[in-house]
Amino acid sequence: MKRSVRSLAVLGAVAAVALTISGCASSTTATPTATTEKQLTIAFVMGAESDPFFQAMKVGAEEEAAAQNVKLVWQGDPSHYDVATEVPIVESVIASKPDGLVLIPTDPDGLQASSDKAVAAGIVVANVDTHTTDTSKAVIFITGDNADGGAKAADAIAAKIGYKDGESYDVVVGLTSATATTNVGRLDGFKAQVAAKYPGIKIQDVAYSASNPQTANSNVSNWLTKYPNLKGIFAIDGTNASGAAAALQAKNLVGKIALVGYDAYPANVALIKAGVFTALIAQDPAEEARQAIKAIVNKIRNNEDPAAHDVVIPNVTLDANTSAADLAKYTYVAN
Amino acid sequence: MTDSKQATGVAPRSFNWKPLVTNQSSILVFVIFVLAAVFTVYSGGKFWDIAVFNNILTDWGLVVLLAVGQTFVVISGGIDLSVGSTVSLSGVVAGVVMVNWMHLDLSVSNEAAIAPLLLALLICVLTGIAVGLVNAFLVNTVNIVPFIATLATLGGAAGLAIIWSGGMPLQGPNFYGLVNPIVLGGVSLSPFSFIVLVSTITVLIAGLFLHRARFGLYTYAIGSNAFAAKAAGINVKRHLTWVYAVSGALSGLAGMYAYTRLGSGSPSSGAGFELQAIAAVVIGGTSLMGGSGKMVGTLLGAFLLYEVQSGLLMVGMDPNWKQVIVAFMIAGAVGVQGFNFSQRRK
Repeated sequence: MKRSVRSLAVLGAVAAVALTISGCASSTTATPTATTEKQLTIAFVMGAESDPFFQAMKVGAEEEAAAQNVKLVWQGDPSHYDVATEVPIVESVIASKPDGLVLIPTDPDGLQASSDKAVAAGIVVANVDTHTTDTSKAVIFITGDNADGGAKAADAIAAKIGYKDGESYDVVVGLTSATATTNVGRLDGFKAQVAAKYPGIKIQDVAYSASNPQTANSNVSNWLTKYPNLKGIFAIDGTNASGAAAALQAKNLVGKIALVGYDAYPANVALIKAGVFTALIAQDPAEEARQAIKAIVNKIRNNEDPAAHDVVIPNVTLDANTSAADLAKYTYVAN
Repeated sequence: MTDSKQATGVAPRSFNWKPLVTNQSSILVFVIFVLAAVFTVYSGGKFWDIAVFNNILTDWGLVVLLAVGQTFVVISGGIDLSVGSTVSLSGVVAGVVMVNWMHLDLSVSNEAAIAPLLLALLICVLTGIAVGLVNAFLVNTVNIVPFIATLATLGGAAGLAIIWSGGMPLQGPNFYGLVNPIVLGGVSLSPFSFIVLVSTITVLIAGLFLHRARFGLYTYAIGSNAFAAKAAGINVKRHLTWVYAVSGALSGLAGMYAYTRLGSGSPSSGAGFELQAIAAVVIGGTSLMGGSGKMVGTLLGAFLLYEVQSGLLMVGMDPNWKQVIVAFMIAGAVGVQGFNFSQRRK
């Protein structure tokens, strides 16, 4: 018994190490094409790396890195979308002296010092998705149109619930973080559209999931109890959308409550046809990454600034009327 | 009427309230009821609802599985930080097998999903055991302290979950009815759903192992004094291997719980739950020094965490207050432990 238990422990450890090594080998860092230009190193640092939005972004980043003779260094906390975990990673990356840094700040003020430090060290910085408070030293800031996405979400919910002036409708909003600029932008856009066109929609509560779909699921379950007349849920990112979708399916409320999510995870896109999601607001994270790397490379190799400092990539609303071709086009590709 | 003391020569003993009010579990039960009353009043009565208790137990059901495994580990003198990542990893491995290898998607649902979900359960538990055995190897053979060893597996398991899932939730066969209250012969057993019932039964069995079986006795002995336990003939390393394997297995079972709840294996489904599990164990009265603790405390500690979470949402308070309240509960629990310890030494 003693020998077999020890053998099993050793076997388990060896298997885990072997799988880890194979995993490292299979996780792609871009294989650059051979050119005469000096290979650049560009680091990409984000919050919760496990978030499928960032994984879809990685696909675009690796494609562009390969095309531009760039060594891509992909870094981020596996699961915590938190300034406390991101700052040490950024500091380590700065110490490794990359040529460029694509930063996705989890907090606009919390990452400002690190971003400025990178610029002072001669690293060309771009912001993607979210931004530091002062982006003047960054070569470019690229994001989806979060305010527009929030407004589109309000339109989708209003259409689903058959909004009529003079009536009152309870809705709630699930976010990942109170400080992430994407979340704040989407919520502001949602509130502004509601105030302008749908004053009967009452935002009863907001809650945070810290990128954990189980927490999002728990929040929605509690809301369904607290607000028996709940008409709509705006799940402001992909993990909130996943958790909310599971909660509605478990409670047999599919189609009875308007659920609008953000980010076209393949699993969530499949739920549009099933009627679980009223709509998904899809961004183009791969394109955001491509443009960021292009801008950094152009700045370093040609000393050229991009045509526009702030670039907003339009969103698309995916719903039951979207063609299969468009659904496939805008679904986030897994890395 | 004669004085009873004169008749018997022994003074009548008054009831000793001190052990009852300083008993950790008694205090937890009291706090649970007081908070329930407070939340009910401030939510306009909405908190006192069977649906709310269903929500609390659904949240409790996952963390209590992790906390039960953690209880064994902590009593033995160790700690297991890898439990949250193991939840994510086990769900992802099950998702990879069902969705990527067997091509079973979300259209496989309800009764048709039972067979794949049983396979997923086996995969989740085996994955958890594998992580547990890695922990045991690092602690016993490589001689790394449990905190560092399990910190390493926390990162490793979380990373593998992201790599193997491609960062996306793997949506496969599902049976959401298992998350809803059980209905037997037209009678609802709310707030108990199937998955909550499984967690409850698991806690009860684990409690029996801890308090009534030799396994528990050896666990306490090793946590109290590993050297003395070895001198008494206990194979400490073998027993610790079992302890970490049990913690891993329960984490795998929790991974299946998360999969059932979400209908998918998600790489972030267990993020942060290791701290919830440790908080439940400490609030429940188990000492991080090892050698003491009770399963009923863990059960109550985990319940208290989610009573607070649900209660704050029902009264409309900022959910970030949960962390503040949990900090006070942990401090209070450690304070009571310290008081009880000093009383025993007198």
